[in-house]
Amino acid sequence: MQKENAIEVKEVKKTFRLYKDKGNSLKEKILFKERNDYEVRTILKGISFDVRKGEAIGLIGHNGCGKSTTLKLLTKIIYPDSGTIEISGRVSSLLELGAGFHPDMSGRDNIYINASIFGLTRREIDERVDEIIEFSELGHYIDSPVRTYSSGMYMRLAFSVAINVNADVLLIDEILAVGDLNFQTKCLKKLQQIKKEGATIVIVSHSMEQIETICDRCIWLNGGKIEEDGLPGYVHRKYLEFMGDYSFAESAAPDKKELCEGEAAAESGIDVLEEARKRFERRGSGDVWIDKVYCTDAKGTEKKVFLTGEDMHINISYVVNCPAEVCIYIGILRMDYMLCYGTDSYSEEKKLFKLDHSGILKLYFPKLELLPSQYMIDIHLTDKEGNEIDMYNEAAIFQVYFQTKETGMFKMTHQWIEKQH
Amino acid sequence: MMIVRELYAYREMIFSLVRRDLVGKYKKSILGFLWTFVEPLLQLCVYTFVFTVIMPMKNIDNFYLHLFVALIPWNFFATCLGGACTSVVDQQDMVKKIYFPREVLPIAYVTSQFVNMVLSFIVVFIVIVIAGVGISLKAVLWMPLVMLLQYIICQGIVLLTSSITVYFRDMQQILSVLSLALMYAAPVIYSVDMVPEEIRSAYMMNPMAVVIVAYRDILYYRKVPDVNDLLLGFVAGSLMLLIGYNTFAHLKKRFVEEL
Repeated sequence: MQKENAIEVKEVKKTFRLYKDKGNSLKEKILFKERNDYEVRTILKGISFDVRKGEAIGLIGHNGCGKSTTLKLLTKIIYPDSGTIEISGRVSSLLELGAGFHPDMSGRDNIYINASIFGLTRREIDERVDEIIEFSELGHYIDSPVRTYSSGMYMRLAFSVAINVNADVLLIDEILAVGDLNFQTKCLKKLQQIKKEGATIVIVSHSMEQIETICDRCIWLNGGKIEEDGLPGYVHRKYLEFMGDYSFAESAAPDKKELCEGEAAAESGIDVLEEARKRFERRGSGDVWIDKVYCTDAKGTEKKVFLTGEDMHINISYVVNCPAEVCIYIGILRMDYMLCYGTDSYSEEKKLFKLDHSGILKLYFPKLELLPSQYMIDIHLTDKEGNEIDMYNEAAIFQVYFQTKETGMFKMTHQWIEKQH
Repeated sequence: MMIVRELYAYREMIFSLVRRDLVGKYKKSILGFLWTFVEPLLQLCVYTFVFTVIMPMKNIDNFYLHLFVALIPWNFFATCLGGACTSVVDQQDMVKKIYFPREVLPIAYVTSQFVNMVLSFIVVFIVIVIAGVGISLKAVLWMPLVMLLQYIICQGIVLLTSSITVYFRDMQQILSVLSLALMYAAPVIYSVDMVPEEIRSAYMMNPMAVVIVAYRDILYYRKVPDVNDLLLGFVAGSLMLLIGYNTFAHLKKRFVEEL
């Protein structure tokens, strides 16, 4: 192992046995032999990477790509089939919070139990216990039994222990959903501080924003192999472009979806929303019916991922059941349902579309001013008086990425001016 | 040797788990920790009643004491045989999510049961004194050695059974039946003198029998236990520990995938 490295992973391969119907008892083992049939699924097809001391890396990829497996291998809770993993120093993982908590014992006692599971000695815990209590913001509740805590308090205590272990290598899986916004900010700050103090951090996350704020490097795993390894901004763009194509391929052949054991079965945000959309109530007279809403770029190619500043067309393909004069409203919402922009053709330009035959309506944004996030589109068709014809909410979604670290909702036109006296 | 160093680093985890087990068990009960002492006392009352009133054993003086000094250590064996096999399975949430030397779990289990037995021995000593039998200091000095032997045997058993149980859950039921039967493979309710002379040496190959006999020698007969038997016991016990450790070390690699 080289001195400057904290983690060395060499040609690691891992397969899982996927039992058809697992029986652990004698009867089941003998009587239902066929149940013990298993399929060997290869999760990691040989990955290698080094992480330097003090480096923070993010692991990304869609479900089933092997990123959680990689993290479990690093934690040493599972062993690779072949290849080696070497880690120098104490490892702490934020995979399981509150391991070993006893509900009837006080918060303080539980700090000792929990911290000892991370391999701390009594003296080391004594040194840290005040810091942990302060970080958890539990105050005098610390001496009450843990069963009296709210779930938020419980998680705060658990997180405080895990993050104050002072590990040389910190492994994190989908963090920072703990507590209120203030506590989350505090956790992020703490992570930055830990990183400054020289700890090595590995994060698995679906949140690119989090990875970009903390990590210096990002590895994108795809199908058990490393697809890209580099600066977070660059890797994320590659990943999003790929995911844009991928989700189309997936919706075309939904049975081909593969989820591996050990990976959360939770779908990505995009799929969940498409589910929500299906359930969404459509209202209106139905004289004109919206068939499909989709976005295209300047060349007319259908896309779901756009770069800030790129040309974007919102296409509304419609079916006419009964000719009508319609006013079109388009709203663009961020995933947290914050309305970013909304306009309708009538109040803006007194424009009504006379629709006699089925076709496509377009709204063209010459330079997309939205900043990175996921957005959804609401389309409402009404007549001149405002009577509903077709109200189609969350009709489509798209994602925006950008190279700079500008934050917020819009890229506002601006200019830096310097004047010195 | 790596594992010894690692377990040493995780010693606080073993202590905390033992403490959690001992203290946490009685946390909400009124008598609390006193239960550790009340339990063996109640057991003593039952046996005294049965063997003095219902079926008096005429040929052994103070039969209840004869039984009691063997029953307390046997209880420790019985929990290690019957209950300890789930020590890894029961903590699967922890095993699946965090790395620590897996050996910690069986070790902590055996240790907390061991502490329980040591505390119960306080009751045994008090009863012996009250019964007017008296204690031989020279014999009692051998107690720690016998306890060490017993600890080694139990650790070997539990390392073996707890790792197998992860793959084969029937182990739990098999063992609880087995532990009932094995009670008769050691001279707990009878005296070792009742074992026929011809099979006595084979009988004493069972290290659990060695341990029970030694306890009874020390506490009931007030004499120094047979050193040869103890030595053989240590050889057999170490062998069990070795087998248990190696099985565990081999099986632990796929624990997470099997749980």
